[in-house]
Amino acid sequence: MAMDRGLLAVSSASLAAEGGNSSSVLTDADIMLRVKAGDESAFSYLVQKYRRAMVHFMYRMAHSPAVAEDLAQEVFLRVYRSRENYEPTAKFTTWLYRIATNLAVNHIRDTRHERQGNMASLDEPDPETGRSLDVADVKPTTEEVIIQRERLAAIRGKVESLPERQKLAVLMHKYQQMDYKQIAEVLKLSESATKSLLFRAYESLREQLKEFV
Amino acid sequence: MKSNFNCDDIRELMPELAAGSGDPASEVKGSEIKGSEIKDSRIKAHLQSCATCSAELESFRRTLALLDEWKAPEPSPYFDVRMQAKLREEIAATKRPAGWLHWLRKPVFAVSLTVAVVAGVTLVETGHAPLSGPVAVEPGTAVGDLQALDKNHDLYSDFDVLDDLQVQSNVVANP
Repeated sequence: MAMDRGLLAVSSASLAAEGGNSSSVLTDADIMLRVKAGDESAFSYLVQKYRRAMVHFMYRMAHSPAVAEDLAQEVFLRVYRSRENYEPTAKFTTWLYRIATNLAVNHIRDTRHERQGNMASLDEPDPETGRSLDVADVKPTTEEVIIQRERLAAIRGKVESLPERQKLAVLMHKYQQMDYKQIAEVLKLSESATKSLLFRAYESLREQLKEFV
Repeated sequence: MKSNFNCDDIRELMPELAAGSGDPASEVKGSEIKGSEIKDSRIKAHLQSCATCSAELESFRRTLALLDEWKAPEPSPYFDVRMQAKLREEIAATKRPAGWLHWLRKPVFAVSLTVAVVAGVTLVETGHAPLSGPVAVEPGTAVGDLQALDKNHDLYSDFDVLDDLQVQSNVVANP
C-alpha cells in the first residue's frame, strides 16, 4: 500500500510533473478517475491541491480554525469514500464544493446553539493553536486593534447573518473566486437565479456595512 | 446583444463589475469585463453618463474591498499528518474482514431481520405460533390444574381399563 509518510509530497510531485507534461489533458476529473481506479497517490494530489481552499471555505463557515481543518479533512474522506460512484458529469470542484457545502451546512445546523454562545469570543485567539488570525501582523495601537476587531466582527456578523444560500454564494464568489456558473451548479440554481442571489447578498452587505467603508 | 445598457442592467452586473472578474456569464449579456478595467464601451458609456450607477459601483467596490479584510488561516502544519492518519484508518477499515455484524449494516438485511422479528413477535402474541412448544404453567393454579387434567385424560382412561383387569384377576384368584 502506498500510504507512507511521504506520500502526499511524492504523489503531488509526480502528478504535477505529469500534469505539467500534458496539462491540457489531465484534468481534476481525470485524476479523480484514477482515484476511482484505486490510485491512492492521485487522491493525495487532490488533497494537496484543494486543502487550502477547503480550509478557508470551512473557516468562514465554521469560524474556528480547528473545526475548519476537521471539516476539510472530512470533505476529503467523503470524496475518498465516494470514489467508486464518481462520474465526471460536472467539474471536480463543483462536486467537491457540493460535498463541502452539505457538510458545512449540517455542521452549522448541528452546532447552532453552541455557536450562538460562542459568538462573543470569535475574535479571541484560537484555543488550540493560540493564533489570532484576523488581525494584521503590523504592530497597531490599542485603538487601531479595537477598531480593526470591530470591523472584522461586523464583516463576519453580517456575512453570517445572510440567508444560507446568499452566504454560501458570497463565500464562493468573493473568497473562493468561483464564477456564477460554478456557484449555480453547486447550489443547484440557474445562473440567472445565482446572479440575482449574489446581487441581493452584496446589496445587503453594502447597506449593512456602509459605516465601515 | 444589447446595444445599450440601462440602470437595471448595470445594477445586475454590479457584483461582477465591482469584483472585476471576467465572468463568462457576463459575456452572454454582451458585456466584457476583464480585470479591474471595464472594457465594454456600452457599460463605460452608461457609467459615465449615470452618476447614480457610478456612485453605486464605487460603493460596491468599497464593500468588496472591506470583505477582503476577513482573512482565513492557512492549514496548520499538522493538517497533512492528520489527513494521512484518517485516510490510513479509512483504508484499514475498508480492508478489515467484516464480522457477522457487518451483514446487519446492509439495509436489506437489517430490514429483513426487522420484519422477521416483528412477524415472530406478532405470531407469539396472537397465539398462532406454529412451532410453539409446551407452555410452562404454574402448578396449583386453576389454569394449571385444568391443563394437567386435560393432558392426563388418556392416562386416566387407561386407569379404568387397569381397574377392570384388576377386578377380573381378583375373581380368578378368589373363586
